[in-house]
Amino acid sequence: MARDFAADILDPIAGEIVTNVGRWVDREVKPQASEFEHADVYPDPLVKGMSEMGLFGIKIPERYGGLDLSFECYAGVCMELARGWMSLAGIINTHVLVGYTISEYGTEEQRQKFLPRLVEPEIRCALTITEPDAGSDAQAIKTTARRDGDDYVINGQKMWVTNGQRAGVYLALTKTDPTAEPRHRGMSAFLVEPGIAGFSVGKKFDKLGYKGVETTELSFDDARVPASALLGGKEGSGFQHVMSGLEVGRINVAGRGVGLAQAAFDDAIRYAQVRVAFGRPIIEHQAQQIRLAEMATKIRAARLLTFDAARKKDSGVRSDLDAGMAKLFATEMCQEVVLDAMRIHGGVSYSKELPLERYYRDAPLMVIAEGTSDIQKIVIARALQREYPV
Amino acid sequence: MRRRRPSESVNIIVCVKQIPDPETPAASFKVDEAAKKVIPAQGIAPVVNPFDPQATEAALRLRDAAGEGKVTVISLGPDSARDAIKHALAMGADEGVLLNDPSFEGIDNFQTAVALAKAIQKIGAFDLILMGRSAADWDMGVVPAGVGQLLGVPVVTVAKAIERNGGAVKVDRVLDDGFQTVETPLPAVVSVSNEFGEPRYPQLRQIMLAAKKTVQVWGAADIGMAADELGASGRWLPLDALYVPKVESNVEIIEGETPEEKARNLAQKLRAAKLI
Ligand SMILES: Cc1cc2nc3c(=O)[nH]c(=O)nc-3n(C[C@H](O)[C@H](O)[C@H](O)COP(=O)(O)OP(=O)(O)OC[C@H]3O[C@@H](n4cnc5c(N)ncnc54)[C@H](O)[C@@H]3O)c2cc1C
Repeated sequence: MARDFAADILDPIAGEIVTNVGRWVDREVKPQASEFEHADVYPDPLVKGMSEMGLFGIKIPERYGGLDLSFECYAGVCMELARGWMSLAGIINTHVLVGYTISEYGTEEQRQKFLPRLVEPEIRCALTITEPDAGSDAQAIKTTARRDGDDYVINGQKMWVTNGQRAGVYLALTKTDPTAEPRHRGMSAFLVEPGIAGFSVGKKFDKLGYKGVETTELSFDDARVPASALLGGKEGSGFQHVMSGLEVGRINVAGRGVGLAQAAFDDAIRYAQVRVAFGRPIIEHQAQQIRLAEMATKIRAARLLTFDAARKKDSGVRSDLDAGMAKLFATEMCQEVVLDAMRIHGGVSYSKELPLERYYRDAPLMVIAEGTSDIQKIVIARALQREYPV
Repeated sequence: MRRRRPSESVNIIVCVKQIPDPETPAASFKVDEAAKKVIPAQGIAPVVNPFDPQATEAALRLRDAAGEGKVTVISLGPDSARDAIKHALAMGADEGVLLNDPSFEGIDNFQTAVALAKAIQKIGAFDLILMGRSAADWDMGVVPAGVGQLLGVPVVTVAKAIERNGGAVKVDRVLDDGFQTVETPLPAVVSVSNEFGEPRYPQLRQIMLAAKKTVQVWGAADIGMAADELGASGRWLPLDALYVPKVESNVEIIEGETPEEKARNLAQKLRAAKLI
């Protein structure tokens, strides 16, 4: 199985784009990713390269200056970026997700205000749902937004905000009616621009992996935003809007799982052919053959599931089932494949001189963020229940 | 030969070639000695000759500096060579021509130069022809000179910088131990070296636009080449043999009572082998 992700892309132009991004990854990202990662510095030159290629405008509609490419194309791009360095696919994730949410659910004024600025990008985006006391149970958030004249006043504490220091707009999930039942009916999302009184970015987390890109705390302390910052201009739809955006995030993370696993596999199959043990290359030992065959099969399955979910999203229908399955399978698979690649490399995999230790530290994030695997299973099961009414 | 038109607009032709990936691992590189052919390595896609995107980059910069003009990309090769053209189109070139004919199989550098020159004549007006300094497969580097000779225009090789001043170009050439600056009137052929600098990565938007550009395909008859000029039989440079050199290694332990004696014995061996 060649690593050529484009081979499974049905649209030829999308395929060419993914191939070109892959070339960029090979030449610009692979050689320096570990260095950036170990230093935990923001990869400015790589983000500049992504921007010059036009990746940040990939999902912005053409009428706002974007490229309006398919989710199929986007999934392939995420695979390629993560094959070089998972953090790059993370940097683009919240940006694309928030851009998508604005273009789908924003008012025309919000679209015109933000979308053209996301293309270059003049500004980047963060999504902030999670709080100290609410993660998986997103409806349990405590941040409130209270209407006050022409404004809303936001109060609360947010956690784990990817792109937290660099974002020019934060899509923040709040409660405009904390007493509403069901809880989601009282939830609203706001497009918050930094620099306003009462809004502050807190500490940057020191993470196991997913380095380079910053993840921070955030606090709202009587932060006042105009009513025009309410996504879609209507209270009570925030949860649904953000969940729809998360389908895009799940396609991204599934793609990341595939890309990272592919990187580990590419290293492993090469190493298995040159490393000799007991008189023959280790690939000639059946235990390693079985391992490599299983790795490749799982990667391929995840890749097809991911493209399938992306195409479903492209078709405009609800795709939480498909995105959930892809995210669940691809990320769990990625953890297993990375560990298998380490087993194949033996001791040397434990050295910081090879990228495997980075893959090993990056993989677990994906089974947690954007909805844990447990949550994906709940999403999948609920969607299945809808499909099998009794 | 048509001369440059008086406007600032510049017409550039870039010749690009698709080659087997030079990064192909040695173990996968195989030759069919009987057929005198390289067997394409399985699972390793051919690539654009590494110097050619630099030639395309040079063309795009000159076109954009002029403010108007056209960059036409030509490639002679199999169907898959369309990818090399597409790559140049995605970088921003305007038009593509693929020279594709069964009788181009196995031709040598001179026949290639003839075909390219005829295709360029068919395209018509041009100010500049740009090519990579050599193709990384056979590494002959003679096609630029051949095309220049056939079209009767000056040839400047191994450029690291090209600057256009109206009807002339100033070219900085790479020498073994320095640089040389020459000027030549247009039209001319210039071959571009890696010292020119990194070519741009195609932008997504350009890739989308490139997909809409059509690549014309011309066979031997379209460019007026006769059968006897073509095929392996028409080669000016018949290929005698093609083989992968056999590398043999021997290990010999140098004996001696003391380190000094071992060193002396080693020196004598090396001298006997005429290595020192
Ligand atoms: C590096 C990083 C970056 C992040 N970036 C962002 C970001 O940009 N924006 C953002 O909003 N969030 C972000 N997150 C937060 C992330 O989405 C949450 O961590 C994740 O959703 C899990 O929430 P939690 O940490 O509160 O865990 P919890 O919800 O407390 O879950 C703990 C455990 O309980 C399980 N569990 C919870 N509920 C159930 C249930 N109903 N059934 C079965 N098991 C259950 C979970 O699966 C998990 O195993 C990021 C996290 C990390 C680590």
